Amino acid sequence: MKTEVLKEIIKKKLSREDFAVLTNLSTSKSQIFDSKKLLSKEFENYENEINNYYNLKKNGVIDGTEIFILNYISPIEVIIIGAVHIAQYLIDLLKNFNFAVTIIDPRKYFTTEQRFKNIKIINEWPNKALEKIETSSNFALITLTHDPKIDDPALNYALKNKFFYIGALGSKKTHENRCKRLKEAGFNEKEIKSIHGPIGIKFGGKSTPEIALSIVAQLVSETNKLLLNSKK
Amino acid sequence: MEKPSETILESANSWIETQQKVALATVIKTWGSSPCQIGSKMIINEKGDFLGSVSGGCVETNVINECLELMKNNISFKKIHFTIQDENAWSVGLACGGELTIFIEQIN
Repeated sequence: MKTEVLKEIIKKKLSREDFAVLTNLSTSKSQIFDSKKLLSKEFENYENEINNYYNLKKNGVIDGTEIFILNYISPIEVIIIGAVHIAQYLIDLLKNFNFAVTIIDPRKYFTTEQRFKNIKIINEWPNKALEKIETSSNFALITLTHDPKIDDPALNYALKNKFFYIGALGSKKTHENRCKRLKEAGFNEKEIKSIHGPIGIKFGGKSTPEIALSIVAQLVSETNKLLLNSKK
Repeated sequence: MEKPSETILESANSWIETQQKVALATVIKTWGSSPCQIGSKMIINEKGDFLGSVSGGCVETNVINECLELMKNNISFKKIHFTIQDENAWSVGLACGGELTIFIEQIN
């Protein structure tokens, strides 16, 4: 691989777009490929096969060729409402997975850079902050404040925009009250049930890192289901 | 699926920027049970320092040695295949019973 290609891959990863890297295993020449990019001489004879693998996000040596394709998929976006203590543990755990994290919290004293290094923080009320983000059904929402005036607008937004994962922190009682409010706001039972509340898988832990781990386990599980379905 | 959050290529780049020779090893084929997916990577410098992984520790030593040879003899690339019958794989212990092919190449 040429150093230029390496640098190009690193740059492309920051663009948060899907792309693939092609390597000719009989020459070690490689190039970046996406739907807009033309194939170089090294690869042009295998255009159909390459497109086929690319569209299916399939990795490996293309059958009957010496072409290796590796897909880079854009990260799943996770929005966290509440720059609270759990959020710090969450971010540490989420780093190991393919997630891009944004934290929203209108309370300035929580969102100090000292507590959240290299994380995108929006210091505004959720409804205002979410308007500024181009969201899709590939987004996940985690609400952590258990304060209705901060969490509820975000939950409303995520339900309307069909986020694939919505989780809300809070006790069973808090969640019951939350469901009542959402019902009053006009959401049907199916929509309300799609919220993971109380958030996280159950494994008996109550400490902050344990709660964070239980949330990440649930989010990763739901993300894997999403990726599996998108391949079908 | 390659996860962009993995930073092995970024590390390779920073090694190169400090004038080190770097070899990249990538898992390109697997059969049977294999702990590392296709696309798993490891980088190695001339001193034998390495980052990343191409198996669950079964063939790393072997791959490192192959990469050191590659850099020493200035060969640009090589394909290495490991199977359970493979003597090398046995000696380093491919305990999972799988097979894998690894592509090693110099970045330059």
